[in-house]
This record gives sequence, structure tokens and C-alpha cells, in this order.
Amino acid sequence: MKVSLKWLNDYIDINSIPAADIAEKLSKCGLEVEEMVDNGSKYNNIVVGYVKERKKHPNADKLSLCIVTDGTEDYNIVCGAPNVDAGQKVAFAKLGAVIPNGEFVIKKAKIRGEESIGMICAEDELGLSDDHSGIMVLDPNTELGIPIAKALGIDDVIIEISITPNRSDALSHFGVARDLAALYNLEFKMPKVELNSSSNNVNNAAKVIVEDFAACPRYVAKVVKGVEIKESPEWLKSKLTAIGLRPINNVVDVTNFILYEIGQPLHSFDLDMLAENTIVVKKAGDIKKFVTLDSKERNLLPEDLLICDAAKPVAIAGVMGGENSEVTVNTKNILIESAYFNPSSVRKTAKKLALSTDASYRFERGCNPNITVYAAERAAQLIQQIAGGEILEGTIDVYPNEIKPKTASLRYERVAKILGFKVEKETVDNILSKLGFIVLEHNETAVTVEIPTFRPDVEREIDLIEEVGRIYGYDNIPTIQKISVILDERVDQSAYNDSLRSFLCGYGFYEIVTNSLLNEATAKKFGNPIKMLNPQSFEMSHLRTSLLPGALLTVARNLKVREKNLKLYEVGHVFERLHENEIKDFSDFTETDKVNLVITGKSEDSVWYGKDKNYDFYDLKGYVKSIFAKYSLDSLKNDSYYFTNELLWEYGFRLKKNDVVYGIGGKIKKEVLNLFEIDQDVYNFEINLDFLKQIKQKERSFKELIKFPSVFRDFAFVVDKNIEYITIIESIFKGSSKLLKDVKLFDIFESESLGENKRSLAFQLEYYNEERTLTEEEVEKDFWKTINYVKSNLNAELRG
Amino acid sequence: MRERITQAENEFDGEIKKVKNLKELEEFRIKYLSRKGIISQLFEDFKEVAPEVKREVGKSLNLLKNKSNQQFEELKTSLEATQQASGPSIDLTLPEYKKDFGSKHILVQTLDEIKTIFKSLGFSIYEGPELESDHNNFEMLNFPADHPARDMQDTFFINEDFLLRTHTSPVQVRLMQSKKPPLRAIMPGKVYRNEALSAKSYCLFHQVEGLYVDKDVTFTELKGTLVYFAKQLYGQDLVYRFRPSFFPFTEPSAEMDIWWQPKGKEGRWLEILGCGMVDPNVLINVGIDPEEYTGYAFGMGVERMALRKYGISDIRTLFDNDLRFLKQF
Repeated sequence: MKVSLKWLNDYIDINSIPAADIAEKLSKCGLEVEEMVDNGSKYNNIVVGYVKERKKHPNADKLSLCIVTDGTEDYNIVCGAPNVDAGQKVAFAKLGAVIPNGEFVIKKAKIRGEESIGMICAEDELGLSDDHSGIMVLDPNTELGIPIAKALGIDDVIIEISITPNRSDALSHFGVARDLAALYNLEFKMPKVELNSSSNNVNNAAKVIVEDFAACPRYVAKVVKGVEIKESPEWLKSKLTAIGLRPINNVVDVTNFILYEIGQPLHSFDLDMLAENTIVVKKAGDIKKFVTLDSKERNLLPEDLLICDAAKPVAIAGVMGGENSEVTVNTKNILIESAYFNPSSVRKTAKKLALSTDASYRFERGCNPNITVYAAERAAQLIQQIAGGEILEGTIDVYPNEIKPKTASLRYERVAKILGFKVEKETVDNILSKLGFIVLEHNETAVTVEIPTFRPDVEREIDLIEEVGRIYGYDNIPTIQKISVILDERVDQSAYNDSLRSFLCGYGFYEIVTNSLLNEATAKKFGNPIKMLNPQSFEMSHLRTSLLPGALLTVARNLKVREKNLKLYEVGHVFERLHENEIKDFSDFTETDKVNLVITGKSEDSVWYGKDKNYDFYDLKGYVKSIFAKYSLDSLKNDSYYFTNELLWEYGFRLKKNDVVYGIGGKIKKEVLNLFEIDQDVYNFEINLDFLKQIKQKERSFKELIKFPSVFRDFAFVVDKNIEYITIIESIFKGSSKLLKDVKLFDIFESESLGENKRSLAFQLEYYNEERTLTEEEVEKDFWKTINYVKSNLNAELRG
Repeated sequence: MRERITQAENEFDGEIKKVKNLKELEEFRIKYLSRKGIISQLFEDFKEVAPEVKREVGKSLNLLKNKSNQQFEELKTSLEATQQASGPSIDLTLPEYKKDFGSKHILVQTLDEIKTIFKSLGFSIYEGPELESDHNNFEMLNFPADHPARDMQDTFFINEDFLLRTHTSPVQVRLMQSKKPPLRAIMPGKVYRNEALSAKSYCLFHQVEGLYVDKDVTFTELKGTLVYFAKQLYGQDLVYRFRPSFFPFTEPSAEMDIWWQPKGKEGRWLEILGCGMVDPNVLINVGIDPEEYTGYAFGMGVERMALRKYGISDIRTLFDNDLRFLKQF
């Protein structure tokens, strides 16, 4: 909200305080200043000048040669205006001035051979009006040499404040002035209302019936008859334009002025357009449609509160008036509405209509029910002042259940308990009084105050403590240098994931963070996703069920910038519906912490040393296995299940424990990659971290280092191609004694020379004994026993 | 024969002095010491020497062979040493074999910095779900239904009762419900806001909130703790201010600004976090007596810190995960 310092000055004397200081203080009391614009600054170097002399330009008929003084020095000026004359006070732009209209800089110039040092301005050049008929001639009594902005009264500073939702009271100049009164210890003065009413009573001219007191606790109306609708006077227009409002006509301008002055939204009806001169406040019920004064047809719900006349709706209560009863140039008699509507009721309607107006914005945050009469009377007075007419005697005020101010007590020691330091009792009392709280009672330990009804946000002791704190100034609260640390158990629920991250980084993986929100098609490809009720766009309508789509989108994006070799991981939550019914409980869906690895492209890029290897399935398997080794988890061998052509993968493997799959991945199918426009092989593996964390890690304990030498034996088997590696390994261990400790595959060879559907696998066997050195004989014996076992078991042949 | 031996010896002595490098040495070796070299040839011819002088000639021939072999080896060693001293024959300036170092995402790195500071002050770290109930995200935190305060946080709803959390405060609720004070913890995590994507805002961001509930927790301690935190992060000569603000779950509420002075630009106040004393209503909601216990809470956005720290102007850069970006950190 914009406030004008000049306007504020009507209620509190801040003339002598620098604007920057006011802005800083406002920010520090909770009214955060977003912008401060000094309107006077665009008139820098433009001052009040006096035309001492004027004569005709020797070389041009339409130009004059003038001598202008700013009170201290004389300047030669060439002027083209027909009305310029000696003895005038004028707006004189000196060298360096930037002319507001057109933004050109005044420089020394020679015009038709005559020197000109400055310029005498017309109204349009100062951006005051469109008038370019001649120079602006000022009142002869204007002080010479002072800045023109000051002389014209446009040296205003406009401060834009961001008002938090609790401070509905600060949405007006009254509210801001009240905070300033407390901050500077000044007096806040409300303008007095003195009505010059006629003897005709308002009750003979209009009638108000409120049918719903919950939604409309108070409805105040005043009637002014015989007004003349026209342009507002200068003072009113300039007040409104200063804070960015567009003047409309005198009556509407007054209601807008009151809204920004007092914070009370008013509405003026053309009384003659109200059937039977009656106002009925009621729920929409069967009324389905209504045209608001912006000429738009609005759809209504039965519980929307309407202002009606005897026959039809004329306004949506607290939100916007109707086209059918608005004040026009032909309006003669007006009814001023000054009501208090229930915040929640206005909010529901405004929200549903997606229609936020200055009025609804204030009503839904909470207005002051007890300022309504004052606001209506002040409006009537101003309207009569500028639009003429007759103010009918009396005020219609439907207010069956008076909203009385609440009271609250504050214990002085509680201020110290919350804020951490002592504030003197007198200071506490004074701050509250300046803010409009009325001290009802105070003693040594506590103060009881009446809370003004313009502060609906204040109800409790803690709210009063906040008021004291914010006016006292948070910067004045000492900053302590020492804290105590509790020596209890430390929990770090992020430690596991962080350690996994470091581990993967060590392997050269880069971490990515992708959007959890996906479009429907993508999300559904990977699981049964949860849909958002109010998505921002269809591109982000569903929650991810897997980290894979985000990874594939990332791969695709990188391929576009020719980053083709990627080793990425993401740690994040994924979400899955468990059934198609409405989600009513946490058991209706799962949210799981996962890690996803993705590798694609070359593990060794083609470089001068000639290595060039693509990532493949065995790289993926290696990384997954390392995670298990690192975390001392059960060996992958027993828990892994390989598969081909399943779901999203051409082939891959899954991790399973007690029938729960907690990890899955492999080589992603071409058809899946095509959806993401990826044209190279991609491998991924996703692990359920919540599950992984639960799996008990093997206790780490030191294994004695082997003191005796190992003995190695190499050999190669030729076997049928369909016999898997794992079968051969199992067979080798089965055929050996405990002396065999490790088997390494070091070569695979396929050739027609081996026979049809045969391949050769070469192994190195490692033997040792923890207790002693092995003899050649016992290794030889065991080795041949193994060979013979595998030969007969798998129909293998020893290769020469 | 004797003359030939003497002649060979003289020639050998003369030529070996002229050998400058290993290549010439090899030519020299072939000429004199190879199987078809001069010395071998002399041994070949030795077979035909008259028996009476054979012994004497043989002796001098052997002497020549041993001497020349020895001289050759000596020269070879010295030439090799010279070559080594003058440098190897490989091109050391060829590019290295590239080693990827990998990195945590810049947001995670920033989070790590924040966590480290608060851990040093004895804070625990708790996490919670991102898909939350309206109850935990709003109601328990003193956001009444149909209250304008809810407009402060544009919310993604799943339905009337469930939503994507708009802050990590529901983790505070969960913690206070499950444990008795004293409680001192931070809650990092992803939160969501229903805002249009732009350079300034994204539909999700990372937040770190903190909570401390105990007897005698005060605003001064909150201020002291946050000033310590900000100075650790931004430097000891930090200029800061605390401004009153509004959050439904704290009262009094404040925001902390720091004076931000980018090089060559106008300085300005920059909001870095929101904080306040836990609202008594929140404590009552979780069954903690606000007369006995007080608490403070604070919260900050990780993205904004990272953007500022590394001079990134578009928040979407963080979620694009371009490898060229990832490799910079």
C-alpha cells in the first residue's frame, strides 16, 4: 500500500522528520517499506524565478529575450512563449535540470545568435497537465528561489509499504500515522466531523433491512440529496493520484479517499436506482448471476452475501458494487454505505470470484466495526463540501449486537520472560497507549488494557508483548553472546543420505535435483501417481513415483548441449497411490526416500591415449555392489534377481528381501528412451533408502591379515554357452575344499573353433590357509579335484 | 698379426673419443665389438697364426678385447647418464587422463554449510514427509481455515485434507508431539509453493527451519543464535537488522535483513530469514504448557542463499542440472 507523507501530515506532525528516517522506522516497526519515491526529486534544479526584463529577440519575431533571477543571480533566457512578461514569477529550470516531460537536460545554448542559460517552463513540460499554450505563471506571492516542487506543493514522498495479513489496521493513513505516533512519541489527531444537516430525516428517505447479522454485523447508511456529480477539486485529485489512484468523480473520489484515510471501505449508491429506496442485506440464495460495475457478469453461490434493494441485487457485499446502481453524472441523490462485514464471509466470496478489490482486501482482513459511523459522516461532510447537496438528518445504523472492545492483561515479568530483557513499566504502558490501547488498570505486576476494535489481531498477552517489542525496536533488544547447549542425545536423520552422497561423489557421480512434479503422461509411465488438485500447469500436474523420469529429462537436456557422458545421481522423495479411492489418510499413499543412479555415454572418452569404453550393465552392477560393500550390507549375490524384458528395462536386476523389492534397474528400453528423445544407451538403478536404512548392517570387525602366501592356479573351461557364470562359480566352490578362497574370471573367449554354442571361461583360483604355508601337493590335489568335479558336473572341457 | 692388433687398438682408442651419443656408440659397437666386428674378425684370423707365437698373440688379443669392452661399457654408462640428465624422451605436456571428481548439488552443499553451523550449536536434525496433511501444515500451526494468512503460501492441494507442505514447520509439529522439551533441532527439506515458474521463483524450494523449546528460551537468545549463524555464513563484519513481521506460528515474529553490497552496485537490505517466538497456540496444540515453556523458531530458504552466494541470476538453473553447471561446484 502506498502512503503519502504529506497526507500523513494531516493527522500527525512529521514535517520536520526526514523521509528516510520515517521509512527506516516504519520498516523496523513491522511496516516494511518496499519503495520510497521522492516526487520532488524529479524537479531538481527547477526553482521559482522572477522575470526582471523582457525584450524582443533581435533575430526572431516569436522569441523573447528575458533576464530571469533566482534571487541571487541573473540569467539570460531566450523564451518562445507568447505570454512571458516582465514581473512574472515562473518555473525556472536552471542548467542541469532534467525536464520531467521528455527528460531532456538543460544546457547552455545559443538560439538565433543569443545565449540562453536555462528555460522557463510550461505546465506540460513539468508533467503537471497537457497545457502548452504558454509558460506557467505562478502566484506573485510565491517565495523566490525555492524549489518548484515545494512551491507547488508537490514535494511529496510516497512510501510503498508491504502490510502483513495481521495488520488490517495499517491499510490506511490513520493506521500508519498511529504507528508513527508511537514510534516518535507524537500525537495522532483524527479530523473532526461537523455536519451541516437538513431537517429532513434520513429514515424518511431510505430503509435498511439486514437479514443476516452473522455475515453483516453492522450496516450504517447516510443520505445526501441534490449533489452535483463533477470532477473533484485539485486537493482531492492530487491526494489520490499521489498514491496511484485514478480520480473518477467527486462522490466516488470521496469514498476512495475515506478508504485510504480511515481504512473503512464505503460504497455510494444512486438512491434513485434503489427500488423503494430500500437496502436489504441477504444471502444470494436463488439469485445466480449479477453484473458488477466493471460490467462483468458474476456467478453467485447461495451463501454469497448480497446488498439488494426491494427488487434486485445491487452489490456483492464488501466486494464490488453493481452496474445498476452506480453513481453516474446524472446521479442526484446518494446513499453512502459504511458497513462491517464478516471477514470470513467476504473472503470466501472474493476468493471464489477471484475478485480482490480494495474493499474486499480490507474486509477479509478485518475492519473496525466501530469506525463506520464516523466514516459515513466524514464522507457526507466531504461530499457536501465538494458536490453540494443536503445531508439528511440522522444516520441509519443497524447494529443489533454491538461488538465491544476486548480486554487483555499483560504481566510485566512476562515481557522479560519472552523478550529476554526488562522493559520499564512506564515504557510498556506508554507504547500501548500511543498505539490506541486504553489502559484500564495497572498495578505493580500487570497492566490491563482495552483493545481498540481496529486491532482485531490483538487478543492475548503475547500479542501485547509483540506490540511492545516491535515499537521498542528489535534492534534495541540486546543480542546475547552466550547460549547453553543441552547435553542430550543428538539425532541426525540426514546423516545416512549425506554419507551416501559423499560416497557417490567419490565415484565421480554428480548430484542432480529435479522437479518432483511431472506431466500426467510421464508420471503414469513410471507408476500410479498422485494428482494435484490445483496444478500450476499441465506440465506439473502429478507427483513423481520414481526418480527416473527426472533423470531421463536431465539426460535429454544434457544431450542437447552435447554433454553425452553422464554419471548422475539424485536423492529424493517419490510418491505413489496405493488405490484409486480418495486420499484420506497417510496409509492411502506411500512417500519414499530413494536414490537413483544413472549412467550413459562413455566411461572413458575417446582421447589421445586411445581408450574408448561405453558404460554398460556391468558398470552399473559394480556401483550398486560397491554401495553394499560400503554399507556392510548382505552380499548382493544372494538377494539379486536378474531379469530380461520387463517394465522399463531391456534387462536388469532387482534387490529383494522378504519379497520386498527395494531396488531395481538395468538397461532402459529404447521405447522408453524415445519418449525423452534420447538416442544412446542409458542405465539406471533406483534404491529405496527407507528400506536400506532398516536393513541391519553387518557389524564391522577386524579380520586378521593373512600371514602365509597364497597359491594361484589358472585354467580355462570350455562349456555350453547357456551355462551361466554363476553356475560355474557355484560348481567350482562345491568341488573344492575350504582352501579355495577366491575365484577370478579373467577372460571369456568365443570362437567356432571351440565348437557350436560353446565358450571358454578362464579363471584364476586362489588358495591359502590362515594357519600355515600350503604345500604344492595339497593345492595340486585340491585343484584337480575341482577340475574333475566341474568337468563331470557341467560337461565342461579343460582348455589346453 | 701383431701389427693388426696394434693398429686396431689405436684406431679403437682414436674413434671411441669421437663418440658423442648413444646412436654413434651403437655404430661404433657394430664396427668393433659385434659378431662381425673388427675384434671378432681378429679372433677369426687368430686361428691361422703360427703356433709358436699363438700364445703371445692370443694374450694381447684378449687384452684388447677386455680393454675395449670395458671402455665401451664405461662410455655407454656415461652417455646414458648424460641423456637421462637432459630429460626423458616422453612428451610430459600431453593432457592428463581425465578423472571426474563428482560433486553434491550446490543446494545440498549450501544445506551442508547451514547444517554444520547449527550442529556446532547442539542442534539435532529431523526430517519429515513432503506430502502433508492440512492439519499438520496449517491448523496445528495456528493458520485458521479461511484466514488471509493462508494466502501468504500458495499451496498445491491434493484434496481438502492433503497438500504438498509449504514449509518444513510440520516437522516441528511432529517433533513436539513425539518428544518432550528440551528440543533443539533444525528441519531441512523440500517445500512447495504454487507459483508460476520464473527466474525468481520455482514450484519447489529447500528450506531449513529451526526450533528450540525449553524453559527460559527468549527472543534475545534467538537473536544471538541467528546473528552467530549469519556471521559464520556471511562473515564477521556483517551488518544486519531485525524487523517485526508476521507468521501465524510465531509471536512476536521477525525477519532478519542483512546489508547486501554487490560490487559496483547500490547496496540494499536483503531479507535472509524469518523467525520468532513459538506462538502459545502452537505449544498448546502439541500439548506443551506455554506458561512453563517458551520456544523460538526460524526458517530460511536455501535457494536464495545459493543464488546470492554464487551470483546465479535464474533459479531454474539450479533444477536444469546442466553438466557444465554441475561441474562448476
